[in-house]
Amino acid sequence: MSETINSRILGLGHFVPDHVVTNQDLTRLMDTSDEWIRQRTGIEERHFITEDTGPADLALPAAEEALRAAGVKAAELDLILLATLSPDIDFPASATLLQRRLGVSGMPAMDVRNQCSGFLYMLATADAFIRSGGARYVLAVGAEVHSTGIDLTTHGREVAVIFGDGAGAAVLGPEPDPRRGILSTHLHSEGKYAEKLMVEVPNSRSRPRVTAEMLSGPGSRLWPRMEGRYVFKHAVTRFPEVIQEALASNGYTVADLDLLIPHQANLRISQLVAMGLELPEEKVFNNIQRYGNTTAASIPIALHEAQVAGRVRPGSLVCLAAFGAGFTWASALIRW
Amino acid sequence: MAVSAVLGCGRSLPPRVVTSEELGSELGLGGKVVAERSGVVRRNYAGPGIGPSDLGREAALAALADAGLGPGDLDLIIFATMTPDMAFPGSACFLQDKLGCDTIGALDVRAQCAGFLFALAAADRFVRAGRATCVLVVGAEIHSAALDQSPRGAAATPYFGDGGGAVILGAAAEPGVLATVLHGDPSGLERFWCEFPASRHYPARMELAQFEAGAHFYVLDAEAVHPQAERALAEVTREALGRAGVAAESVALFVAHYFDHRVARRALEKLGIRGDRIVATAEAAGHVAAAGIPIALADAVAAGRVRRGDLVCCAAFGAGFSWAGAVIRL
Repeated sequence: MSETINSRILGLGHFVPDHVVTNQDLTRLMDTSDEWIRQRTGIEERHFITEDTGPADLALPAAEEALRAAGVKAAELDLILLATLSPDIDFPASATLLQRRLGVSGMPAMDVRNQCSGFLYMLATADAFIRSGGARYVLAVGAEVHSTGIDLTTHGREVAVIFGDGAGAAVLGPEPDPRRGILSTHLHSEGKYAEKLMVEVPNSRSRPRVTAEMLSGPGSRLWPRMEGRYVFKHAVTRFPEVIQEALASNGYTVADLDLLIPHQANLRISQLVAMGLELPEEKVFNNIQRYGNTTAASIPIALHEAQVAGRVRPGSLVCLAAFGAGFTWASALIRW
Repeated sequence: MAVSAVLGCGRSLPPRVVTSEELGSELGLGGKVVAERSGVVRRNYAGPGIGPSDLGREAALAALADAGLGPGDLDLIIFATMTPDMAFPGSACFLQDKLGCDTIGALDVRAQCAGFLFALAAADRFVRAGRATCVLVVGAEIHSAALDQSPRGAAATPYFGDGGGAVILGAAAEPGVLATVLHGDPSGLERFWCEFPASRHYPARMELAQFEAGAHFYVLDAEAVHPQAERALAEVTREALGRAGVAAESVALFVAHYFDHRVARRALEKLGIRGDRIVATAEAAGHVAAAGIPIALADAVAAGRVRRGDLVCCAAFGAGFSWAGAVIRL
């Protein structure tokens, strides 16, 4: 019986809409301040769409860039995956819309819906397909348009200041060297805390799942609700746990790590995690300052920027880690 | 490389039966028209407060019991649905809590009507890759909360019902999942879709105007979908059998999954498969999208139509379009 083969990221790309929204810009919409946002989150600016644009639209240029970098044509893809919590439409999946934008057909297109951990759940899925010989080339895109689903008034400020729009893409393929590529993936969940960070509507437990009352703001149930303190507390525990799990399962320690790319949820969380692991600043990559939290898109955007900046090089040991709504958390260890 | 096998099956259908007679009056059609148009005589609707994760839980517990396992034996949940409990988090997270599993992975996938076979293929890949050893694969839907129960819903509403189905897929010495094949074609995307809420809609993903226009209800142009569905169901059945190296004659049961069971059945009969070897999922209790195949599997096992060691070939076609096939030795 044939052996498994490692998968690896062959190419990366990212795309954000042109329109930059600074903290100062937000103060014109809500009672907040640049200082408050920076102090609490580290965020300085984010990008928002300015006309009808979906995650699949942002995903297209990111995917094209990743395909170019990988030297893979869209028609050669065996599987198109898209992770999002802000799908273009109710159904079909945003991956199907991306498939149309790429102008290809025949291969399957599937969405992964695992919120902030979405990119890593998707990466684990892509890895499982390639590793078992079920696919050769897989496109995995994290893409979000948050700006059409947040309350940009004072009422929604605690959540609204955090999120940004964007997309990041990876093309994965087989890696013949068993010491390189994706070494392991680790997925976790704890649904007990599902309602600590959620968008409640459409809600299939209600009859009907959407009503006029649910849509009426302020307090529209189409907008996210977050108990920030819970999320923060669990994040600073689960991040180091799942990073250590990835390292330990491959016989490594934190000292072996060349770069940690945490999901960009909040700069303060990333800093606390790094401090707890005694990781020096140059071994952690953060870019939330310029993008806000782009949930499923944050890791591939950061990974691509880190690669462009020369901080991920052949041979680098890279850990990707995420925590978010669900609660879900995950990690992947990669020998670049 | 490890291989995977089906260790147990289970399903959950809510108790309330809605006949086409009942539905007919709400949709402004006669009960006879509803039944003739959709081919569905009865479907089940879950009561208020019940979500896909609740039906998923019942189906999962039945599947675990069938496998002689408990929630603590699982190391991954994969949940396929097009009607999740909430916009987010995913239904797998709710199910993880409701089953009292360890903090295992809880992956939510969206591939509409073919979602269960996409989830099954992913589960098989996780096991083969050595990344999981015991996976709960669930498809569950609450369509009744999403359907337009007014005359405007006459084209789509008659087809759909609620339900949940589950399969436990575990690492095995002998392969049970012999082949999975997955496909997509976005060209018919708007023939079977639901547009709102739509994050792509600027400046807000849903406003009262779209609600009042009913843009959050399913749009289904059944006649336009049928020809491609019939072709694809036949092709993917042949493809899956070929990939598994299995002759059609040696298959004990063919499961054909499509919202119109008459089209599904015809697709397979044209391959020369006799009617008594086919289960068209939507016939018994309407189209339950991601749940249709695991419900049919659990029912076939419970009725003794298939036994351990038997070959089952599944094919599904639906919104996207997405379609898929699988050959399983039980």
